[in-house]
This record gives sequence, C-alpha cells and structure tokens, in this order.
Amino acid sequence: MKKLGLIIVLICGSLMLYGTIDFPDWADPSSPASTHLSPYFIETAMHDTAVPNIVTAVLADYRGYDTMFETTVIFAAGLACFFLLRRFQRRAPDVNLFRHMPTGITLRIKKGGKVPVDSSEFERIDSIWVPYDLIIKTTCRLLIPFILLFALYVIAHGHHSPGGGFQGGVILGAGIILYAISHNLRAAKARIKERFDAYMCSAGVFIYVGTGVLCLLMGANFLDYSALAPLLGTDPIMARSHGILIVEIGVGIAVMAVMICLYYNLSSAGRQDEGL
Amino acid sequence: MTQHLPAIIIVVPLLSALLVAVFGWIKKTICFVIALPAMGIVFLSSIVLFYKVITENQPIIYFLGGWSPPVGIAYNIDHLSSLVLVLISGVTLAHLIATRQTVIEEFTNKVSAFYTLYILFVTGLMGIVATGDAFNLYVLLEIASITGYAMIGMNSGRAYLACFNYIIIGTIGACLYLLGVGYIYLVTGSLNMLDIASILPGLVDSKVVPAAFIICMVGLMVKMGLFPLHGWLPNAYTYAPSSVSTLMAPLTTKVMIYVMVRVALYVFTPVLSFSVIKPGNGFTWIAVAAIIMGSLMALSQQNIKKMLSYIVIAEVGYMVGGLWLGNRMGITGAILHIVNDAVMTLCIFLAVVSFSSYKKRDKLSDFQGAFKEMPVTAAVFCVAAISIIGVPPTCGFFSKWYLISGGLAAGHYAFVAALLFSSLINMVLFFRIIEIAYFEPFSDHHGKKHHVKIAEASPGLLIPLIIVACMLIILGLYTDELVTHVISHAIPAEIV
Repeated sequence: MKKLGLIIVLICGSLMLYGTIDFPDWADPSSPASTHLSPYFIETAMHDTAVPNIVTAVLADYRGYDTMFETTVIFAAGLACFFLLRRFQRRAPDVNLFRHMPTGITLRIKKGGKVPVDSSEFERIDSIWVPYDLIIKTTCRLLIPFILLFALYVIAHGHHSPGGGFQGGVILGAGIILYAISHNLRAAKARIKERFDAYMCSAGVFIYVGTGVLCLLMGANFLDYSALAPLLGTDPIMARSHGILIVEIGVGIAVMAVMICLYYNLSSAGRQDEGL
Repeated sequence: MTQHLPAIIIVVPLLSALLVAVFGWIKKTICFVIALPAMGIVFLSSIVLFYKVITENQPIIYFLGGWSPPVGIAYNIDHLSSLVLVLISGVTLAHLIATRQTVIEEFTNKVSAFYTLYILFVTGLMGIVATGDAFNLYVLLEIASITGYAMIGMNSGRAYLACFNYIIIGTIGACLYLLGVGYIYLVTGSLNMLDIASILPGLVDSKVVPAAFIICMVGLMVKMGLFPLHGWLPNAYTYAPSSVSTLMAPLTTKVMIYVMVRVALYVFTPVLSFSVIKPGNGFTWIAVAAIIMGSLMALSQQNIKKMLSYIVIAEVGYMVGGLWLGNRMGITGAILHIVNDAVMTLCIFLAVVSFSSYKKRDKLSDFQGAFKEMPVTAAVFCVAAISIIGVPPTCGFFSKWYLISGGLAAGHYAFVAALLFSSLINMVLFFRIIEIAYFEPFSDHHGKKHHVKIAEASPGLLIPLIIVACMLIILGLYTDELVTHVISHAIPAEIV
C-alpha cells in the first residue's frame, strides 16, 4: 500500500512538474502577472487611496472583501477551538496549594479547609514544584508594555511600512500570552476574562463588517470607504485611507482576541483552570 | 436598496452570526430568535434576486468596495448562481426551523457557538455561489470548511476521528483548488472569473492551463467526495451530530458540484473544457465507478446514516457524470439534480432525525415498528425514498431522465447502465427499510406484542418536514418551467 502510494505521488508530482514547463521565468517583467493588473495598482494606488504602501491598499481596499472574510476565518477558527475544546463542568480540585511568599512554605489545603484570605502574602499555585520565578516575572513585566506598544505601532503604521492589523494583532496577542506564561492562566484570566475576550473577537470582526454596512447605508457599495467622507470630514480619497485604518484596527482586535482564546483553550485542554 | 441585494445576502447572515456570538453569552434562547429572521431575510432576498435575474434575463453584477473588476472583487449573480442561492437559503431556513429542538439537546451549553458556526457556514456557502472571483471563492470555501469541521467534531465517540480525517483531506482539497488558481494567475494575471474566461482561450497551447484545470478539478473532487476521493465523507456524515449532518449532507457536496460547473463552464469556458482539454470521457468513467461503488457500499451498511452517506456518494457521481457528458441534456440533468438532490437529501436525513426523536434508531433493525409509531414521518420518508429511487412525479425522476437522455445522446451507455443499476439498488435499499419498518413484527422478549402508541415528532420538526416533502413533488411537477426559464439560460450557448 505504501509503495502504491509512493508511485501515485511520484506520477502526480512529475505531471505537476510537467505542467510548470510553460511557466513565465522568475521575476520576468513581461509575465502576465506583472503586466495585466500590477501596473494599475502601482500607478494608481496612491492616487486612489492615499496609501503609500501598495500592499495595504490592495489588501484592505481593492480586495478588502477578501480580507474581511480572512478576518472571519480567524474568528471562526477561534470559535471552533472554543466549541470543540471548552469543557464547562468545573470539578473543584481536592487539594488547593498556596505558597506563603515571605517564607516559601507551601500549604496543602484539603477540600473544606480554610483558604488563606490575604492574597498579597499567599499565592495560589497549581503544583507543588512551581519554582520561584522572580527573574522571569520581572523581565516579562518590563517587556510586555513595550511589546504591546510596538503592536499598536505596527497596526497604525500599516499604511506606510510593512504591518497592519494581522501582524499587529498577533503581537498584541503574543504580549498577553507572554503574561499568561510568565505568571499563570489564572492571572491572565483575571486581566482578560473569557467572556470579555469572546466579545472582543466578535467586536473586531464587527468593526470591519460594520464599516462596510455604514458605507452601504451612506448609499455607496459595500466597503466603498469613500462614502464615509462626510462622516470623517475629509475628501473621498483620504476617507479611503481612514477607512483602511478603521478596518485594520478591527482586524487587530479580532486577531488579538482569537490568539488569546486559542491559548486559553489549548493550554488548559478547555478547562481553563490551570495553564501550562 | 434592491441594487445592494447581492451584498445583503452575505452581510446580513455575517452580522447576525456576530450578534449571536455576543448575545448568546447572555441568553441562550436568543440565538434562534436572531438566526431565524436573518435566514428569512436571506431567503427573501435570494428569491428577489432570482426573480430579477429571470425577468431581466441578464446577470446582476455587484462591485464590492466600488472597484470594478478585474481590479476589485465582483459578485456575479446569473441564472445558475441565483438558482443555487435560493436553494441554499431555502434548505437552511427549513433546516433551521426543523432542528431547533435537536440543537438544544445536542449542544446544551454551547448553543450560541453552534449557531454562530452554523450561520457562518451558510454565509460561506452563499458567498461561494455568489462570487465572481476565483480567489474570493477560496476564502469563502475556507469559511465553510472550518465551520463545517468544527460542527462535525462536536459529538462523542468516533466523531473526533471523522472530523480529523475530514480536516486533513478537506484541507488538501482546498489547497489543490488554490494551487490551480495560482497556476491560472501565473498565466493570466487575473483572478476575476469573467476576465480569466476572456484570456484563457488565447492560451490553448500553454501546458499550464491543462495542469491548472486538472489540479482545480481534483481539489474540487476531494471536497465533493467523488468516489476514489470520498474517504472523509461517510464517517463525517455518520458520526456528526444529527443537526449537523442533516445540513451538510444536502449542501456541501452540492455546492462543490456547483463550483465544478462554474469553473468548467465559466472559468475554463466550454471550448477549453470540452474540446481542448477533453477530460470528459475520463471523468464520466470515474463518475460511473462512483455510482456503482457508492451503491454497492450502501447495500452493505447496517447503519442508516452510513447507508445514506454512501447514497450521497453515488449521487455525486450522477452529477459529475452528467456535467462531463458535455452535452446540453447531460448538463441540464446535472444542474437540475443539484437542486433535486439537495431537497431529497434534506428530506430523508430530516426524516431519519425525526424517527430518532424518542428513541435512538441507528441500525436498520431499530426501525421495527417505526412506521406505526410515526405515520407522518413514515409518509415523508417514503416520498423521499421514491424520489431518490426516481419514481414520477417526484423530482428525482426528472433529473434522472435528463441524465439518462444525456448519456444516450453522448453514446455513453456505461453511464446510463450505472444510473439504472443505482436506481435498482436504491429500490432494494429503501424497500428493505420499508419492509423492516412496516411488515416485520416487533415484540418483546416474551413474544408478546406491544401496544403501539402513536408518538410523532414535535410539530416544529414535522411541519418543515412535510413542506420539504411537498417540495419534492412540486419541483417534479414544475421541472419543465425550471428547465426552460432557468437552467437553459444557465448553460452557455455553445454547448449543444
């Protein structure tokens, strides 16, 4: 069976290679891909949308409809992960572990036992061997604000340089995940609750779709940002540039929230009690 | 507002999916309340679009973002796509109402996530049908696939494995389609279907075009579950939650066949598809194999859902074979069968769900006495069964008639024989169930007969079921109108 598979793969592979004989050469300036549509984008993108980064102009304006659904794909992936993995039956653990921070003594508190109230001295831990991680925690605490700041820069600067909502959103999400890894899942969930995260997932996509619907209500076609000019107080071309920024922000929020949702569910096998 | 209808059929469900995701956290019952009007609007809009296309007798083209193609993305709603749009939205509406109770039972505390995925799935399918852009089609295919995988996996037992198989195989299929689009883009520089269709005939000598064609088609065959590539289908439809398999079995494969028709006739143009590349004969032989193997494998199943899944595989063979006969009769039969088979499959799967509403009936032997307990469901089941067998006046007969005429006109007698063989097998399959359910005595272990009480499914399930069953006969009676006013315009004029 394996040999049969290999033979089929070899035949298909060679047929596909045979099909590539008539491909245009690498970086051939006269190939159809660089003569049919690309000149239009290169020549008029700035004029049409006031966005110097042609990639962003194509991605979020000329083919903004594709990007809207790409965002929806990410949303659907996060939702699918939640749908398949999340387990709501909460089984209270038999033993809770608390560490007394100043002395380093770990308390095992059985079910029904008295739980320490003063949370500044006691820290709840998941297993007995959780090491002290002062260096990791402090380093992450120093790093995370800058990571988040850089993410905002990437989102906002998509018009001029490589970047945009997807990349910035991933960096934002990575910042939060770093926090969850360096502390624990409970600490991260205290900052960003599961339900809030779910709202953010929807809100991000909603900003994108809502922008399109707003254009529709203003009398233009769906996602035709130039119709937003009266609302934004600019001319139609600048309105396209602003419209792109708005949807990029939506994409950023959605991607960040989905990243967090994926981490919460995957790291805890859907129970969301204790993380990695 | 009517000029924005092509956007509305996509945007309304998309927005409602987001609303369901948010408000479902707050109150579970609100999901259905949001989903139902959204689907209603989509259904009505689709009908208006369908009516407009027929009366004006020209396609409606909508520029998304205000950019005219090939620069931007355009929706191109012609006779073919408007027909399938009405089909998808109608099937979804009936299914949504019919499975309201089942969904609450199956997804107790994840109802909102389920409905969000459900609506996104339908949005994806609607978009696939409406779009006039080859890459946009892939993006929407991704949406329909990811949500489909998630919904299939949400059952205990073997559903996980079935879902995992489907993810791997389905992703390969979608990637192959994308690769084919990439090949096309390399030689044309365009992604808009109409634009590609105008450029490709000038490239008949290029070796890239046949390669792109074959890769696209193989990808689509994987997604539709055509016989040697059907591996994912039976388990996915058998072990999925019943509210999911009843939606996916009628829609997924049919929409993929629509895409195949669209790509073959409107991207690669009939000249390339039927005269230059000429895969027709080979593809029809694959379809013959699919019909025969699907029918035979259906015969050997004891689980009713699995049996129906194999019938779906055989039906995929009908449509693919009809399309690649390459004559007007055969393609008419294929398109007509897309419509008929979606309604038939919906009807028979819903009837099986209805049979299981009080006690679980998976195996054929579980059906003993089912007809006495549920007379209405039994009647609906019989209507769907005779439609799948192909008995007039139900719609299954007419599409089969066109397919057989197409086969005779093309001189492909093996295809005709396979169709007749499959009808015979279907007859055996369904009469076996009818025999078990109607004639076989059912008794307890002591040989005493039970006192039979009529225990019908809830009216929420029965009413849509009856409407769908009536549609089978109505579609059959109005076949002629459907063919002359819609389908004959959907096939390019150069096909005779």
